[in-house]
Amino acid sequence: MKMFRILVLWCLLLGATMGLNNVQAQPEQNGGTTIIAEPEVEMADTLRQDGKIYVVVTVLLTVLGGVLVYLISLDRKVSRLEKEVKSLGV
Amino acid sequence: MKNNWWKILTVLLLVFTVVAGMLSDVPRLAILNETIRNLYFHVPMWFGMILILLVSVVYSIRYLRNPTIKNDIFAYEAAKVGILFGVLGIITGMEWAKFTWGEYWSNDPKQNGAAIGLLIYFAYLVLRSSFAEQQQRARISAVYNIFAFAALIPLLFILPRLTDSLHPGSGGNPGFNAYDLDNRLRLVFYPAVLGWTLLGIWIVNVKSRFEILRQRIYENV
Repeated sequence: MKMFRILVLWCLLLGATMGLNNVQAQPEQNGGTTIIAEPEVEMADTLRQDGKIYVVVTVLLTVLGGVLVYLISLDRKVSRLEKEVKSLGV
Repeated sequence: MKNNWWKILTVLLLVFTVVAGMLSDVPRLAILNETIRNLYFHVPMWFGMILILLVSVVYSIRYLRNPTIKNDIFAYEAAKVGILFGVLGIITGMEWAKFTWGEYWSNDPKQNGAAIGLLIYFAYLVLRSSFAEQQQRARISAVYNIFAFAALIPLLFILPRLTDSLHPGSGGNPGFNAYDLDNRLRLVFYPAVLGWTLLGIWIVNVKSRFEILRQRIYENV
């Protein structure tokens, strides 16, 4: 339950940051910005190169990471249960 | 940590598969275009399925020689994960086929063979759930599992090659040499197969340990 709360919170955070990014990204794409890009902004542009394939990579890594984290947590839970059962001598 | 090195390997291989699978250079082929990258995600599902179902068969044979609950649980859990991989394989195959062959389902020998093979394995699940008595269930489903695997191999690897098929590696062509010749694809494809298969084995590992624990608790409560 605790994990799910963390997960939901994390998803909300991610969604929020993505929303913010979008707002910033739109005018830049049109070339209508007057502010000269700072080095940090250039870093962010990496994700929009090559037909935005890096966005796909990011999404895939997020999905994969989420599934793997879940599997690892399951693995740990079973390990803990194994130890408990062993110590109880069931 | 000593026994978990392969789980770390799984994570590394899958991360490599996703990153290199999307960003690496691939051959420029007509019709396929960028969908050739599906080679790293669709094909490993089938390789993984075959390998995991092989694990299941090995445990079924072991059960028949040495009937322990553990052998039965490993065989059952591996079969379930193998079926999951097969279902994912057939769905990804349909998605890929829609945009390269024109139809989700074109009654291709490879597709039909895969569908029949999966139905045989669905019957395994039905058969298993129809026994109330543990030993009877384990023994009969072990025997069925061996026959199911023996039926799956010709359905997937022999029959499609005897006729014309849209699927690479069928219609008389052994293997998928048209792509396999390309070393750029191999470099990601083999780690992908290993990574996805290990992920399946990992799920089997966790689920089996859980089932064994449950059995032990039921026995003693």
